[in-house]
Amino acid sequence: MVVQALAFYAFAAVLISAGIMVVVSKNPVHSVLFLILCFFNAAGLFVMMGAEFLAMILVIVYVGAVAVLFLFVVMMLDVNFTELREGFARYLPIGLVIGVVLLIELIVLVSGAIPIGKASGPVAKAIAKQPSGHNTEMIGRLLYTDYFYLFQAAGMVLLVAMIGAIVLTHRRRDGVRRQSIAKQTARKSSESIRVVDVKPGEGL
Amino acid sequence: MGFTFTEIMPAWPEIFLACAAMGLLVLGVFMKTGAARSISWLSVLALVATGILEIVVVPDGGRVHIFNQLFVADVFTTFVKCLILGASAVGIIMSLGYNDREDIARFEFPILILLATLGMMMMVSAADLISLYVGLELQSLSLYVIAAFRRDSVKSSEAGLKYFVLGALASGMLLYGSSMIYGFSGSTNFLQLAKVLDADASAGIIVGLVFVMVGLAFKISAFPFHMWTPDVYEGAPTPVTAFFAAAPKMAAMALFISVLVGPFGNLVAQWQQVLVLIAIGSMLLGGFAAITQSNIKRLLAYSSIGNMGYALIGLSAGTKDGYSAVLIYMSIYLVMTVGAFAVVLCMRREGRMVEEVKDLAGLSKTQPAMAALMALFMFSMAGIPPLAGFFGKFYVFLAAIEAKLYILAIIGVLASVVAAYYYLRIVMTMYFTEPVEDLDRNVGPELSTIQAIAGAFVLFFILFAEPVVQMTNQAIASLTSG
Amino acid sequence: MYVAAVFLPLLGAIIAGLFGRAIGDRASQLVTCGLMAVSAVFGCVIFYVVALQGLDKPLIIPVFEWISVGDLKVNWSLQFDTLSAVMVFVVTVVSCLIHIYSIGYMHHDPGIPRFFAYLSLFTFSMLMLVTADNIVQMFFGWEGVGVCSYLLIGFWHHRESANAASIKAFVVNRVGDFGFALGIFGLFAMFGSVEFVNLLADGAGAEALKKTYQIAGYSIAGQDALNIVCILLFVGAMGKSAQLLLHTWLPDAMEGPTPVSALIHAATMVTAGVFMVTRMSPLFEYAPIALAVVTVVGASTALFAATIGLVQTDIKRVIAYSTCSQLGYMFFAIGVSAYPAAIFHLMTHAFFKALLFLGAGSVIHGMSDEQDMRKMGGIWRKMKVTYTMMWIGSLALAGIGIPLTIIGFAGFFSKDTIIESAFAAHTGWGEYAFWLGIVAAFMTAFYSWRLLFMTFHGKTRASSDTFSHVHESPPIMLIPLMGLALGAIFAGALMVDLFVGDKFKEFWGGAIFILETNKALEHAHHVPMWVKFSAIAVGVGGITVAVFYYLLIPSLPALTARVFRPLYVFFLNKWYFDELFNFLFVRPAFMFGRFFWKKGDVATIDGLGPDGIAATALRSSRLVAALQTGFVYHYAFSIMIGAVALISLYLLGVMR
Repeated sequence: MVVQALAFYAFAAVLISAGIMVVVSKNPVHSVLFLILCFFNAAGLFVMMGAEFLAMILVIVYVGAVAVLFLFVVMMLDVNFTELREGFARYLPIGLVIGVVLLIELIVLVSGAIPIGKASGPVAKAIAKQPSGHNTEMIGRLLYTDYFYLFQAAGMVLLVAMIGAIVLTHRRRDGVRRQSIAKQTARKSSESIRVVDVKPGEGL
Repeated sequence: MGFTFTEIMPAWPEIFLACAAMGLLVLGVFMKTGAARSISWLSVLALVATGILEIVVVPDGGRVHIFNQLFVADVFTTFVKCLILGASAVGIIMSLGYNDREDIARFEFPILILLATLGMMMMVSAADLISLYVGLELQSLSLYVIAAFRRDSVKSSEAGLKYFVLGALASGMLLYGSSMIYGFSGSTNFLQLAKVLDADASAGIIVGLVFVMVGLAFKISAFPFHMWTPDVYEGAPTPVTAFFAAAPKMAAMALFISVLVGPFGNLVAQWQQVLVLIAIGSMLLGGFAAITQSNIKRLLAYSSIGNMGYALIGLSAGTKDGYSAVLIYMSIYLVMTVGAFAVVLCMRREGRMVEEVKDLAGLSKTQPAMAALMALFMFSMAGIPPLAGFFGKFYVFLAAIEAKLYILAIIGVLASVVAAYYYLRIVMTMYFTEPVEDLDRNVGPELSTIQAIAGAFVLFFILFAEPVVQMTNQAIASLTSG
Repeated sequence: MYVAAVFLPLLGAIIAGLFGRAIGDRASQLVTCGLMAVSAVFGCVIFYVVALQGLDKPLIIPVFEWISVGDLKVNWSLQFDTLSAVMVFVVTVVSCLIHIYSIGYMHHDPGIPRFFAYLSLFTFSMLMLVTADNIVQMFFGWEGVGVCSYLLIGFWHHRESANAASIKAFVVNRVGDFGFALGIFGLFAMFGSVEFVNLLADGAGAEALKKTYQIAGYSIAGQDALNIVCILLFVGAMGKSAQLLLHTWLPDAMEGPTPVSALIHAATMVTAGVFMVTRMSPLFEYAPIALAVVTVVGASTALFAATIGLVQTDIKRVIAYSTCSQLGYMFFAIGVSAYPAAIFHLMTHAFFKALLFLGAGSVIHGMSDEQDMRKMGGIWRKMKVTYTMMWIGSLALAGIGIPLTIIGFAGFFSKDTIIESAFAAHTGWGEYAFWLGIVAAFMTAFYSWRLLFMTFHGKTRASSDTFSHVHESPPIMLIPLMGLALGAIFAGALMVDLFVGDKFKEFWGGAIFILETNKALEHAHHVPMWVKFSAIAVGVGGITVAVFYYLLIPSLPALTARVFRPLYVFFLNKWYFDELFNFLFVRPAFMFGRFFWKKGDVATIDGLGPDGIAATALRSSRLVAALQTGFVYHYAFSIMIGAVALISLYLLGVMR
């Protein structure tokens, strides 16, 4: 138990401080690296909750794909980050005020300091425990049965994202050489090779 | 758990629309040139077919939950969806000529509108916080893309990006609120929530609800979450703006109603105060800020902010009459906006779009019919009887007064007086100033037909107000039937 | 069929109005005229089925529910009984003929689709008015015809005078409509309903007499309340039907195209007042004071308008004043409870007055748009058909026929019945109306023939250029004239027995209600011989005098004008009504307006109110616009601030 608690607090603390670092670090590459650290710690938290599938997905998808992509973008685009950050100091106070107010309010709420309504805490029963089994299998089962609708809908969202990316960025340029497999395979030797009978001593 | 095909009958329209969108996408890819126009008309056809299907499968009375209570259908959802489908179809038709001229006629445009419409339908039918969120995202994502559809224009790209970033923030808030609600109640399902929540719910639920309301208020561009609206409206291609002002507003407003009335119906006292503030802010802002606008798209953006404020009056009344008034208001708003934008789309000079109010100068002399229609829409928006706009305002104010929200009603009336000023300014520009340069004349049959139909609706609404009211009452009755 | 008869003109108006430019002039004409013709055929069938064959009770066809606010429930339905069937018949047939005529008359006008759309829209409104089954719907039609009349008078909107005339017509009618609206409120207050079924039910009027009403803290006896309401309704009728005091708009309305004058300002719209009062007969019958007012106003108008008609020189204005005068006849017929006679005259009048107007239009058309009779003359050889038609119209207007037989022009039967009824009423007011009616009949005959002689006979006073161009109108204009002429000749003889004969009660069924004690119409058949002959005698007398004045001794008119100079000038200036109104209402209104504008508005209210508020609004508007910086992070900030503010407000509210 103690180990678990310690691990939880360790993960959580690193997670939050890495999150802060993402925002405040001056070098954008560092920001992305801190983001990756965030993801790892979050994955750790998931593992502790017994959601190993989510943890692995987080690492594979977010760290392996998304964050690396971020890194590429940040390194390849020539964006003047210092200029972007100019307003930072100016808006810091007001931002802080709002953030702190919100934080206090949420703490007050969650701790149940305001005695209104029913005592805080779930009033309805959470989803009934599924029969024990492999975590991945359980998620799969739920996704394809109870949450089939959402699964399909999420698919539509991804489709839109794909169409959007293509529509907004894909350009058909003239003069670009493309590979045409059909053409390549349809080629016959008779079309491409000419046998020339070269007389010795005459050349072509 | 499995579903048979007949069990999920209420979702047939959505399934059909999704299949149609994907099918058309494939068709569009394989068609070589000139795909945009034919795909557009096919999309319109698909929307109409979906609408017919929607009417066919509407459950008579009562609500039907399917897909493990994630999806709900009743008369309310059918009513709203039909309006949305109509607005989307009109949106596609309005874009035809514009896209051709501006050289952005690509077949993905109607497909994206179809997918956005699908998202809206899913929002309207959401019976769970998760399906709400997924529907909302499907809609929003499509909208972000079409806002930036004119990708060679800096303004359009900026509009899309702004909308995207802010929309993501709002979605985040909504999601955060949903998680709080789940945390404090143990369920995301609307039926469950309605069962376990009563007037004295814990503060956590209500704060979560406020976050959710922030997300929804962003979508209907209500104060103080409206800031994106003028910029996006101005930057996006005009037919896209017209579409933004119509269908998504209707969908988000319907979602607002079904969320507040369904799972949180017992918390009226709590959400009412939040709504009243939002409504007052929107009305005043919509009224005052528009006065100094010279760009007609920006002006209409503020006008739509104000209009959302009026619609929220009905919602904050917290009575059946109030909800039904919102539906009436939104239906009328939809038609007026579409009509007004159809006129704005005709504002071209030597083939270029112009968007300033002063470009309308002397329109009554050069194109009297269009000027008269625009004047009709403006008078109607200003709420002058006996035009349709008057009835919209009349019903929401009536609902507010019956709910004893006198101050809200009074502020509403005052704000509409301020708003009348800038609507009438447009009329004045058209009728009492000399034309500087003529606008182009050949507006195309699509736009003039849309203008004429919208004009006839606005003018003759008085004759069929009663059946419309009855329809909305029926819709609300089925929504509140549990 | 019933619904189609009413709504086909609307369809035509919509097609011609909205798509007129797209489908072209010819198509607009064809569509509107075609639909109108179908409607006219239906109108005839309806007349046959409903009026001639008779129905047990009024046929009510609901269209849809219209208004439902509190106690007030108004359905949109069509009611057909004998009265409305007669009106539908007259309106559709005359309107159809005038549509056809307009094809010829307006052929060189640039706004043809618009014109035909207005005409059809007008016809629809008029049909709506006459088939209304409740008074609110009737008011809708009432206002509809008002608007169309406004649009049509100002049809040639580039003419200053046409605009002024249309505004005048609108404003004067507004005065009347105000009375009508008050009357409707009164009725609703008294009966709690606006449906004719309840208002005009058997004994509803008698019932109302017995009650007392509490209005604004005063209690009013049933009799007084009914009188007041009926007089208010009559004020509405006065406005629409151009009765004395509210008549000033009608002559000015002649600025509109001539077919319009024929359709609206002679045959149909102006008779709406007569129709309305007749429709309300079950109430008016119980309001004797209101009936007396109707008699006096009607009779006075009949004489007054006739005197002005004597001296006018504009061919259309003569006919306009004649219309005014004939409407006076109809009203005093109503005043003595001879409603059938009034409606009978309404119908015959529609035919012959439309005929006269269209004939005048044909003359104007042939004379290159000349309207002044002093610049006409001697053209009868050049337009023989028109000339014949004008004769028929004038004979019908003067009411020429042989008493005691059924030989006579349409006007003869209806007008004589009215005059005899007035005599047979045996009341002081009836007596008054009788004598004024006789004098007016004399004048009517005189000015009709004055018109004929000045226009067609004698040496021409037109410029030789114009005269050489005088030509007969094309057949498309003459054929409607002939149709109307048939009506002007035969309508009276054919219908007299049905409308006002001994069996008139069976014919009208429940559509018209007459108290048992008011027997003017029954007694009209048994008046002394001299009464029967008096009308025709003065008619012939008038014609004879006109022959002397304008054919035999052409110097006589000038001489008379010199001898009776004050009277002549008085008549010529239309009894100075325009000047009086101008002095009494228009100028003080302008003065008040200017005072309140300069002193009250600009100095006091604007200074403190609108201008101050407007300045504030502008300032706040700039402020809001300044917040709209265009930076995404500002916007994001505003969202965050908004969210936090709402939550904090809520939490603070909870803790308090």
